[in-house]
Amino acid sequence: MTALDVGLIMFGAFAVLIVLRVPVAFALGLACIPVFFIDDRLTPFLLLNEMLKSYNSFILLAIPFFMLSANLMNSAGVTERLMELARTMVGWFPGGLGHVNVVVSMIFAGISGSSTAEAAGIGGVMIPAMKKQGYDTEFTVALTACAAVMGVIIPPSILMVVWGGVMSVSIGALFLAGVLPGVMIGFSLMAAVYVYAKQRGYPVYARATLREFFCAAWRALLPILTPLIIVGGITGGFFTPTEASVIAVLYALLLGLFVLRTIEWGKVPELLYDSARFAAISLFCIGTASAFGWLLAYFHLPQLFVDAVKSYGGGITSVGFITAIAFLIIGCFIDAIPAIIIVGTVLAPVAKSVGMHPLHFAIVGVISIAFGLVTPPYGLCLMIACALGKTTIAKAFKDTMVLLGLMLLVLGFVILFPDVVLALPRWVMPKFVQ
Amino acid sequence: MPRLRDFNAAFYRVLQRAITVLMGLLIVPVTLQIFSRYTELIPRYIWTEEVARFCLIWIIMLGAMIAVRDGTHFDLDILPKARTKQGDAIGRIIVHVAMLVVGVIFLVYGWRFALFGWDQTSELTGLSMLAIHIAWPLTGLACLLFLGEKLLDDVALLRGRDA
Repeated sequence: MTALDVGLIMFGAFAVLIVLRVPVAFALGLACIPVFFIDDRLTPFLLLNEMLKSYNSFILLAIPFFMLSANLMNSAGVTERLMELARTMVGWFPGGLGHVNVVVSMIFAGISGSSTAEAAGIGGVMIPAMKKQGYDTEFTVALTACAAVMGVIIPPSILMVVWGGVMSVSIGALFLAGVLPGVMIGFSLMAAVYVYAKQRGYPVYARATLREFFCAAWRALLPILTPLIIVGGITGGFFTPTEASVIAVLYALLLGLFVLRTIEWGKVPELLYDSARFAAISLFCIGTASAFGWLLAYFHLPQLFVDAVKSYGGGITSVGFITAIAFLIIGCFIDAIPAIIIVGTVLAPVAKSVGMHPLHFAIVGVISIAFGLVTPPYGLCLMIACALGKTTIAKAFKDTMVLLGLMLLVLGFVILFPDVVLALPRWVMPKFVQ
Repeated sequence: MPRLRDFNAAFYRVLQRAITVLMGLLIVPVTLQIFSRYTELIPRYIWTEEVARFCLIWIIMLGAMIAVRDGTHFDLDILPKARTKQGDAIGRIIVHVAMLVVGVIFLVYGWRFALFGWDQTSELTGLSMLAIHIAWPLTGLACLLFLGEKLLDDVALLRGRDA
């Protein structure tokens, strides 16, 4: 069997199975099975072994912990405190509450590493508030979903943990690399809110006094210290990413149970269960996706892409755009984590062959795959926001595409100018960035 | 059939409790690891890292079993919905049979995988790897039980329509 045959069998079977609604994790495992039986040297035993190898990772432990800390922060009701702080900062811009939504999402992105937790947590408070003030439901939903995307771009980020774990890239450096692109996405969304607000006459808040700002900042101080603890702890060499994720959990527990006293003890088992179950479902995909990726590599499929790019004479920019397009397309159909493993492992040798920096490649990949969270048919954040706003994806589609268009411009900028990604890690962690 | 349903419901509750307890326990070894490095209160254990990894493996497999019963594994909603209940049942049967194939692979090859683990011990704690490898045949068994219940329901629906 040639590499192309294997690729066609596996991707063909996978595509048919997911269209038939077979869950992605199972479809990935099933797509490997014909190849295990066709080739005498292989056996389905390898599927199990690859799964175990991929799960047996100290780095991946950070994922359930980051999910738990996000859920704890949501339950502790920190969103309201962040909203008040954001109101005093940007509420007086035209479309005040829209800007508040974006700024809260940016701050919460620094507390949580999960975009879905962010869409659910912030959407639950912001969507009703924006609708009450007369913002169009479709715009409100689209803005909340797109702003939630920053959750996995601004550190900490579950997707970066997976990327760093699977492709052996420093997670601390990845976290730093995500900061500037994430903030740029936030600003692009705020520009969109401004234009929408001017056109549609959305309301503004009165300008807050300095005293109001400091009061709000004081009330929000403890939650907004989280990103400093996590990112500072990792980049300063105090904790590993996994340890930082546990610190985030302990800190959120301390805030919710003892300081703010907004979480009841009885609710903790429910939060543990929800976080563990959701993390397990995401991580289960990693196992079968790793077996899928392992088989592709075993038959040298990534080499085909490397040769194709070489014969075409592509450079860093063209590989950057190929990476973005591949992730954007696959992100429409499957969950981000298996997408990283399948597309990432195929394209990593291509990126290396043209001399693209691993951090640049990673951030282009993570941003593109994060955009998949708002692209139908499989856009988890958009689905959550639509459910909270009681509207349909079809109705919210137009506004989502307008906002996504702006975010794509940021992605294009990041591809063309690698320094946007590399500047911060070079400055803070020079030994990790050559 | 009611027996299978009752058994599955009880099994599902056990899985839910187990994953909740493991998630709580998972915090302990990693916290110990940090505290032992920065304080003199506890010695520097070497088993914490391995125990945490093994807890994670079990959490993933337990969560995968739970999600088979409550139908929450990620899937793609791209095909139009069937117009009849019968069409809907046929669609579900295809999905459940496909998942069952994976379940059977987990059970059959997982059994060999478990025996393979029997002969090995872990690097740091000396635990038999059977304790970890056994998660695969157990997941296969859970798939058989939970998907069996779903398939029986789907077939009953089809038959009811046919009659």
